[in-house]
Amino acid sequence: MTGWISDFMNHPATYLKSGWLQISVSNLIVIVLMLTVFALAVFVPFPKDKEDRK
Amino acid sequence: MSISKEAKHDFDAAPWAGKTKRYDIVKEGSIAVAFVAILAIVLSLLMGSPDETPLTFKGWAVSNADNFYATAVQELAGTSGTATYGGPYNKASDGLNVGPFWLQKWAGVTHPIDTVNEFVIAPLSTQVMSTEIASALATWKAASDSQKQAWATAYDDAITKVEGKLSAVPAGAYGPVPALAKGLTDMAKGGALDAALLSQGGFFQTDNTKQILFFGDGSYLDDAGTTANLQGGTWGMMNETGRYPGQAWLWLYSFWYQIPPFNNEESKPIGANADAYIMYIMGALSLGLILIPIIPGVKSLPMRIPIHRGIWRQYYQANGINRRKK
Repeated sequence: MTGWISDFMNHPATYLKSGWLQISVSNLIVIVLMLTVFALAVFVPFPKDKEDRK
Repeated sequence: MSISKEAKHDFDAAPWAGKTKRYDIVKEGSIAVAFVAILAIVLSLLMGSPDETPLTFKGWAVSNADNFYATAVQELAGTSGTATYGGPYNKASDGLNVGPFWLQKWAGVTHPIDTVNEFVIAPLSTQVMSTEIASALATWKAASDSQKQAWATAYDDAITKVEGKLSAVPAGAYGPVPALAKGLTDMAKGGALDAALLSQGGFFQTDNTKQILFFGDGSYLDDAGTTANLQGGTWGMMNETGRYPGQAWLWLYSFWYQIPPFNNEESKPIGANADAYIMYIMGALSLGLILIPIIPGVKSLPMRIPIHRGIWRQYYQANGINRRKK
């Protein structure tokens, strides 16, 4: 597989480290996305029915 | 006006009194599957997949011939990690335990591996050999088991004593062991050992256990794991090679390996048996997750942390129940 995105992905990852905690930026992005989807599911209101809009 | 806690709980437990409408769960499932499939295909086309160069015995023997050679001697002497592992490969040790539970020992030897013959002698025997190697092989095969063990152990000890610096090993009664180790190293350098180990199975060979164990006995696989941030002690279980996201959902499994006493192999009994202890801990936590609906206190957490009232807040507000007391 070639292409600049594929080349970019196959380079060594960046890791964030604090004491014994270590996480790759890629994993952090995925976790933040999952938490964002969960927050949206909780806080975004349900769409109103046509009858309610009237 | 605030409603009492009991009234809120009663309302939570009562059947849904809001509006209802027909709902097609198959339609939603189909849309979700189609969406994820398209997303996966698009991301695969854009990003490709992890594309690490495969680890091979040729790569190991060429890049670090001394380490490969010393590992081959360990396989002959029965001192390598595989040779001393215990179940499921051999009976050299009892393996891991948690208190009176010796699961590794109890499961027995289900995948027997004889490192002397399967890692060294059998692969060498498949080759067209020089006179020196053929003679060494014949001498080895004709010797008694105790003689073989004495030669290999003496040479392994000598290499260990000089910390792997082969040129510093003094002369000794090593029999054919140096020639066998050299023969296997040369075989690996030529690429023949990769094929020879893979061919010790059926026609369609998919079992790479032997290769991985042999790799694991030396420093080649370990170094590659460290370079790619895949070591267990640095959250490697969660990681993937390159910049690809890994198995983030294994964070809790990986977490235990980062903290004492699990991260100290010298610490007995827990650190020395960390894999077994962590397996039991995760088993207990998984069981707890399954049993949430019947565990007192835990089962009533939704009452104490009423996220559901946030999700269906319009319904609750319409029935006079606000999340916050006014």
